[in-house]
Amino acid sequence: MIGYVPGASPLHRAHPYTTLALAGALLLGAFALTQPLEVWLLVAAAVAFSASGGVLRSSARTAFLLSLPIWALLFVLHGLLGADPRTTVGPLSLSVPGIARALVLGGRVTAIVLAFLTALATTSPHRLVEAMTARGVPFGRTFLLASTLTVLPRMRERAARILEAQQCRGLRLGGSAIARLRALGPLALPLVLGALAEVDEQVLALDARGAASAARRTALDPPPDSSAQRSLRAFLLVLVVAAYGWKFWRMRG
Amino acid sequence: MTALVELERAGFTYPGARSPALSDVSLDIAAGDVLVVTGEAGAGASTLLLVATGFAPRVVGGKLSGQRRIAARRCGVVFARPWTQLTGLCSTVRDEIAFGPASFGLPRQAVLDAAERAMRELRIAHLAEREPSQLSGGELQRVVVAAALALDPEVLALDDPAAELDPEAADALYDVLPAIAAAGKAVVVATPDLERAARVATRAVTLEHGRIAARGAPADVLDGTEPALVARAAGCPRPYPLDVPALVRRVRR
Repeated sequence: MIGYVPGASPLHRAHPYTTLALAGALLLGAFALTQPLEVWLLVAAAVAFSASGGVLRSSARTAFLLSLPIWALLFVLHGLLGADPRTTVGPLSLSVPGIARALVLGGRVTAIVLAFLTALATTSPHRLVEAMTARGVPFGRTFLLASTLTVLPRMRERAARILEAQQCRGLRLGGSAIARLRALGPLALPLVLGALAEVDEQVLALDARGAASAARRTALDPPPDSSAQRSLRAFLLVLVVAAYGWKFWRMRG
Repeated sequence: MTALVELERAGFTYPGARSPALSDVSLDIAAGDVLVVTGEAGAGASTLLLVATGFAPRVVGGKLSGQRRIAARRCGVVFARPWTQLTGLCSTVRDEIAFGPASFGLPRQAVLDAAERAMRELRIAHLAEREPSQLSGGELQRVVVAAALALDPEVLALDDPAAELDPEAADALYDVLPAIAAAGKAVVVATPDLERAARVATRAVTLEHGRIAARGAPADVLDGTEPALVARAAGCPRPYPLDVPALVRRVRR
């Protein structure tokens, strides 16, 4: 599951800036916090963030699948090829500091992916556009950000359509890993070329509908904001600054 | 009647192209016109639409030659594939249609009124709260036309608007065009669908290799419709009947 999922959770009801600020704080926190305890607190915060959006199960599953290759790579790089001391688990000789390092790095990656997926699942692109429009953000920037939230589901829908069409023409998806890799060609090429061809039309259509107008857009239904949410966003900013301050202070020490 | 668009020996070459897509085209488009532009694939009908509405070269790039005067305050354009013309950022049909007027910064109530008026005109008021991505192709194309009309364009250009529609949806779309023209707008349709075009056209132009090969009353120009071919084979004199009811009347006579 990647993309917006309608719902009525606190995150769905929150001002989009608040949801994005929470996700952003988790993302920036993942770069600032490097100690094992800090990282596991970060992962716990990401899980709580996802749970408060009511999308923990689906987001965690997708986050697990997306970060699995990275976990595998970290395990090989640090766990198998890491420094001494080593411990033996079955037939494997593992680096103890390497495994600890892999867990920390993997935890940071998983927290980032989970926060991103949760933000995607709980931020309605329409509400985000309305919120940014109400603040007077130029449409170009609004479109850039909102499109980022919608591009993955749109590509997935398009890929599903192409896959069905190619299967109707005899494309076989089963078999060995190599056969599956080979099947990517007939999917990827029309996916990319089709998307590029449609971009031209979309640019014209958006231009015809005033997307490039210099006038300030009218917000029709801006999501409500509150002083509590504004305070939370300010607090998150302070928290992120403090985390980086803590990181640099520790580096100097 | 004052021309909304005047082309005098106009030509157009796409960026990177060696030969022009349009050459030596002289044409006036006035309010109340339903001008049908036909021709073989690649004859330049779509290009003529882009040039006449000002999108070429302003948006698509390229080089314009000859004279062009666009007196129309605003031009709308609709393409064949409705899903490429959605913003992808609106959760209801009403919001999608209101996107254009909102882009020009009209007051909120004026934006909503424009959207309601366009939905009434296209007979899609019942779809107002539906999600655009859940609509059928025919419904979606009418939403796209309504979105263009919500901007109150003086020239509405449609590029093969029924290409992706089933016969009923195509009929429904073509049926609204005379009413749009009667409201004081110019409608320009590029299409190979001569049967439907013949039903609504007030004037027709045929292009060959980017040049105007024939122009005039639909009965004189659109003689490639099946009823016209039957009439010609039967030895009927010009003008040929362009649709089945006209053919039946002619045969009865």
